[in-house]
Amino acid sequence: MNCNGCLEKLDLYLDRELTDAELGDVRGHLERCPPCEHRYLLLAGMKRLVKVCCDQGAAPSHLRQKLVQILF
Amino acid sequence: MTTLVAVAENRNGTRFAEEAMGHLDTLYRGALRLTRDPAQAEDLVQDTYVRALRYQHSYQEGTNMKAWLFAIMRNLFWDRFKGGRPEDVSLDGDGELSLYDTLKDPTAVPESEVLDRIAADEVVRAVERLPELHREVVLLVDVEGFSYKDAAQVLGVPIGTVMSRLHRARQQLQKSLQDYARESGIVREEKESA
Repeated sequence: MNCNGCLEKLDLYLDRELTDAELGDVRGHLERCPPCEHRYLLLAGMKRLVKVCCDQGAAPSHLRQKLVQILF
Repeated sequence: MTTLVAVAENRNGTRFAEEAMGHLDTLYRGALRLTRDPAQAEDLVQDTYVRALRYQHSYQEGTNMKAWLFAIMRNLFWDRFKGGRPEDVSLDGDGELSLYDTLKDPTAVPESEVLDRIAADEVVRAVERLPELHREVVLLVDVEGFSYKDAAQVLGVPIGTVMSRLHRARQQLQKSLQDYARESGIVREEKESA
């Protein structure tokens, strides 16, 4: 696998959307290629950051109470 | 007999309601990211639950309820707040950096440690600045952990569309965070933009 092939599959690799064989190919390339690995670490860092930052906070309690009345 | 049926239906209804309420915080956070407004987010979530209740017979028990609720909410969002479902708007070619260009210019790629120093608020703002069609894919895949297939189902688009929107969204996010890092002095200006 060359850099071009690796970069094309990087999103899929990050999101675990590849077959085991493809996963192995990308992983192998990343181990040998620091620029691609750097790119991957950045993508992975961003994904983690977005998840952590956007996954905070609860629904207001008055909304919960209103929905309980509607649903039950 | 009628009574037994009624009791069984009632039990099913309660189970449905309990399961649906288990997704409330997640849906509310998603609504907040979509509408960017707490009052509108509450309205959107409430309307989502009302519609879910009305169409609960179309939900198949044991399937992905979170995805089902997100699909309802997302369609309501476009109908109520955006005046109609999005056509397959082409967001192509709006200043896309090719990965190779990014790679060739080392100053265009911030060190991954820089990410640790970016405030959570700024990340949320960067997500909220994305065009809606990009934002909703990031919400589903990166925040909620949906597979491409499930995200495609929620959005009613082919998997390839999920992939291209996600790719562009990530490029925009990277640029946004990178600009922020430069402007706030987290990373030094490498080049004068004279």
